[in-house]
Amino acid sequence: MKSSQQSVSRRGVLSALGKLVAGAAALATARKVRAVTKQAVTTPAPAGYDPTKHQWRMALDVNKCIGCGSCADACKNENHVPRDPGYFRTWVERYIIKKAPHGSGEPCGETLVDSPNGSIGGFPPTLVPKSEILKAFHVPKLCNQCSNSPCDMACPVGATFRTPDGAVLVDPTYCIGCGFCVQACPYGCRFINPLSHTAEKCTFCYHRITRGLKPACAEVCPTGTRIFGDLKNAKPDDPLLQFYAKNRLQVLKPHLGTLPRVFYAGLDEEAR
Amino acid sequence: MPPQITRLLLVTVAIVVAYFTARHFLVPASFGQYGWYRADALKDYQLLPINYAGQAACADCHEEVIKKRAKAKHRSIACETCHGPLYAHANDPTVKPAKVGNGNFCVRCHEAAPARPEKFPQVVLADHNPGQKCTECHAPHLPTEAP
Repeated sequence: MKSSQQSVSRRGVLSALGKLVAGAAALATARKVRAVTKQAVTTPAPAGYDPTKHQWRMALDVNKCIGCGSCADACKNENHVPRDPGYFRTWVERYIIKKAPHGSGEPCGETLVDSPNGSIGGFPPTLVPKSEILKAFHVPKLCNQCSNSPCDMACPVGATFRTPDGAVLVDPTYCIGCGFCVQACPYGCRFINPLSHTAEKCTFCYHRITRGLKPACAEVCPTGTRIFGDLKNAKPDDPLLQFYAKNRLQVLKPHLGTLPRVFYAGLDEEAR
Repeated sequence: MPPQITRLLLVTVAIVVAYFTARHFLVPASFGQYGWYRADALKDYQLLPINYAGQAACADCHEEVIKKRAKAKHRSIACETCHGPLYAHANDPTVKPAKVGNGNFCVRCHEAAPARPEKFPQVVLADHNPGQKCTECHAPHLPTEAP
């Protein structure tokens, strides 16, 4: 009676268990092989970089930016960001604040903000006549690498994380491309890469800074608008510390409590 | 021990063993080293190839150009700002860098615009020798001198 009714046999269970163990072992081996090949085909990075011994920051001097777009262009070259307008890890915005109509009781008139193709190739001449402009300036934007980042709180799979050295990164092997982080970022710094379908954003050029180079945008900035440094290893004459000492600094949208690691000098109230 | 307790214990042990076995294979080894994420993701980022070699790499071979522009206002600009990404060239000098612009590349930075800082040198293109190329009068590395 027993053998005729039993659909689950001891032999069957044992063989299924054996297959499971073999499969798991094969998976682990495959993962190891993939890791080794990946190591071999990519550029070797210097071994021994310890993220707990660095603390990266970027500071931007709005008074110096000329809106040439070199940074946005270099970022796309360095990080293989899709060339289509709409995908940017860094970009420059042009703010044109008009004069208030006489007797309006307001200090400023309308504010016009544009960033054609993220400023790559420079800005076209503005259509606002010079006599109507109260003030105008450029604001470079990038991921603020917040210490209290809303994007990683929104991630349902834990793909976004804060590194010990002051960056916020996305693990593309975990990211499912749901886009919650894109919506959560109050600075509009994220996008879903159309090729990988994973979230992408500025990494502070993590592959460069860990090799002792500057991020691509800071490297090519012709006016010294972008100042980058390591607070844990900064000497007193470090450009970043000098910048901190000589300027009154601000962050974007401080009321959101995101605690950015990107600082601005000379920021206007209109720039957000 | 009653047989149902033995069976319950066996099932419990099997579940616990299965959980830890699955965890061992499914959770990456580096998970949790710095936080609630895969620490090897940092290494993955570090291994990405670079395209901009950096100013130090340019200065290694092209010291004469660095010296030449030491007095010029352009001295603080990285070579790759105008010449583009040069890691391939720095690795293998036979890889020739692309040519810069067509003689009017200067415009990108120096065309007069209201949003540019007032002290920054700017020209109104329509008034400043229209029709001529910048490089006819200005050497790019030493812009105050003729080429």
